Amino acid sequence: MKTVAIKVAGESIQARVGETVIHALWNAGKAELIKTGCAGGVCGACTITVRSPEGKMKGTDLACMCPVEEGMEVFPCPVDSALTVAPEMNPNEEKLRKAYPKLDRCTKCGSCTSACPMSIPVMDSVFRMRAGQLDEVADDFTNCIHCGLCRFVCEDGVQPHMMGMWVRRSIGSSAEKEERKKKDKDSHEIELEWQYLLEGSSTDRMNNALQFRKSGKIQP
Amino acid sequence: MDWAKHSLEKLETSREARLCSKPPKLGEDDAKKILNQYHPDYLGMHRNICIGPNKNDGNFPHELADLLEADSQLPIDFEPSEDIETDVLIIGGGGAGASAALALEETGLRVHLATKLRLGDSNTVMAEGGIQASLGINDSPRRHFSDAYVGGHGQNNPDLLRILCESGSSAISWLSQLGCMLDRNKDGTFQLRPGGGTSLPRVLACRDYTGLEIMRVLKDAVLLSGTTVLQNYAAIELLDDGEGQVTGAVLWDRNKEKLVTVSARAVIIATGGSGQLRFNSFPTSNHLGAVGDGLVLAYRQGCRLINSDSYQYHPSGSVYPEALVGQLVTESIRSMGAQVVNSEGSRFVDEMTFRDVLAASIIKEVKEKRGVQTPTNRIGVWLDTPIIDLQNGHGFLQRKFPGIVHRFARYSIDPAKQAILIYPTLHYQNGGIEIDKDGCTKVKGLWAAGEVTGGLHGTNRLMGNSLLDIIIFGRRAAISAQNSLPERRRVTLTRLKEFRASLEITSARQQLLSPQLFPTQTGMKISFERKATMGSQDKNSRSTNQLSFEPPDPFTK
Repeated sequence: MKTVAIKVAGESIQARVGETVIHALWNAGKAELIKTGCAGGVCGACTITVRSPEGKMKGTDLACMCPVEEGMEVFPCPVDSALTVAPEMNPNEEKLRKAYPKLDRCTKCGSCTSACPMSIPVMDSVFRMRAGQLDEVADDFTNCIHCGLCRFVCEDGVQPHMMGMWVRRSIGSSAEKEERKKKDKDSHEIELEWQYLLEGSSTDRMNNALQFRKSGKIQP
Repeated sequence: MDWAKHSLEKLETSREARLCSKPPKLGEDDAKKILNQYHPDYLGMHRNICIGPNKNDGNFPHELADLLEADSQLPIDFEPSEDIETDVLIIGGGGAGASAALALEETGLRVHLATKLRLGDSNTVMAEGGIQASLGINDSPRRHFSDAYVGGHGQNNPDLLRILCESGSSAISWLSQLGCMLDRNKDGTFQLRPGGGTSLPRVLACRDYTGLEIMRVLKDAVLLSGTTVLQNYAAIELLDDGEGQVTGAVLWDRNKEKLVTVSARAVIIATGGSGQLRFNSFPTSNHLGAVGDGLVLAYRQGCRLINSDSYQYHPSGSVYPEALVGQLVTESIRSMGAQVVNSEGSRFVDEMTFRDVLAASIIKEVKEKRGVQTPTNRIGVWLDTPIIDLQNGHGFLQRKFPGIVHRFARYSIDPAKQAILIYPTLHYQNGGIEIDKDGCTKVKGLWAAGEVTGGLHGTNRLMGNSLLDIIIFGRRAAISAQNSLPERRRVTLTRLKEFRASLEITSARQQLLSPQLFPTQTGMKISFERKATMGSQDKNSRSTNQLSFEPPDPFTK
């Protein structure tokens, strides 16, 4: 099997072509070098920075999603969690500003957007926050894994992913309760259906369940 | 993907004809036959265990049986002395643990949540497809029950299942109040998708990031609650009072490398599953910590395990590229029209049948040489994803499944244009600790919730029922613990001593230590300051072979 030489936190490792940094560490018995959670790209635990040998621009990444490359250097970049602010009903930009006063300090450097391993347009979304376009912001942060890299790289202390969470939870909890027209059957009928499904021998119950799932009714 | 050119051509040639084709239907008897012949659960690769509540009763995968018969990680001379006093100790930082913590928010009780990783690093956060609730027009909790009962082969505990199905609507309301944004129609009603084995569309989702959405909201809410979260604290043993009541736990603080004794009036185990034990050498979709810790801890306290021979092999795990092997491709992508196709370009199974039947059918197809081999010698079948946009219009796949698109984009694969290769991946532990409808185990002071428990899903779980499970039973366990909170009792290792004594008699797997905490493949080790030197030299001589299932020596750095 073809291998490549990589460095993680200064330690040299031979890694198999095609595997990720995390799996290379496992195989080398050095799993502790990078704190790992889901190993599937959604928990945000294994944040790293990557340096490419050819001067190619690299940057932040998730070790579990980052395939190994000859000569790459990987540095663990764990991000501590930040204090979170409770969501509010009927959010707007003023409430957001009060929750996260550093919102307006963004200098448009774009670091957050390039740091995001999920390709979220972070900086643009910060501007949408300032403009009060919060529904769009909620949409932007749908796939945010809260790795915290956007906050980590921001020199001005803006906390994009925390604000994204605040906006989503605030909008989500303000949404109207679903008004389904649907009414369940009357309680007597419901009880009969449960009896049909729960009583009798195991064969009876299985047959009744097989029948019931076809129509949602007891067939006489 | 030149190596698959030949087969890809067949796939593309047959697409037009398949577009409007009906899926092949399997009779019940044929489905049973395929399960018996091809599903890993049915191949008899299990064994009895010679110790504890399931002694000579019940079959266990070897890897799990070994851990249940293994000795404790605690040094023989360890004496618990209380470092932390709390009312309720929750072990596990996934969805069930977080739901339990939130249910105790306003009770005034002291709550500690311990997780060996960080809060939220769990299988919950990785769930993609959705959560079931019978909100549809012709739907009802009874119909939901029927689907899950048939899917679970009637092995479900009906009391648990009834509660699950009746609680769907309130779970969704609770999540919405917390601020979860599940996908809605233009009129504000929730979008409902079909799932494998659901007789009606019943699955609510947030794109293909449903678990992420739920877990990050639960996590945020827990961090805002009064819960004390102990991150990087692994539970390695439960404590008892010497009279059969669980009274706390010994935790290993990974950062300070110390053992910490917690005294609690109630302990809730929410440690999740065991996919990283990689039974039968399957790849897994599970997170780093899924190695069955909770099963081991509860078993030593006298809890019976049920359906422990039953695991879910999710039909659509990635096979290519190598970096994504075992990772989930959501079932929901099949419910939106993606077809499962063999190397000859033919459909061979109803994509929306029950997971175990579909997984077994894919294994059969591969065994009968109608699979596609990758350059790293893995074999899979096609999941024809481009057909989705043909059915639903351009851009549909990207809109509904941004997660899958994002993950494959890195390897220049666009699932909207190019089919992906799949093979079953070890996904879910169907069985586990026996509980009643309040999450009580048979042992006083000990509750359990979520994937670590058994009974609810029978021997095959339906999509969307585990996210519902963790919300409902996480909360129920916590409320039950609050309502029947035992008085604080002393912390001893009486149960462990008894267990160790029976180990001596049976001379079971004494070289192994458990809970294992991390996958053997990682080589991660437990290390802590030891109070006294121990003479058990034989415990230091275990194999460090990467390929063996022997865990690494926990006492050396």
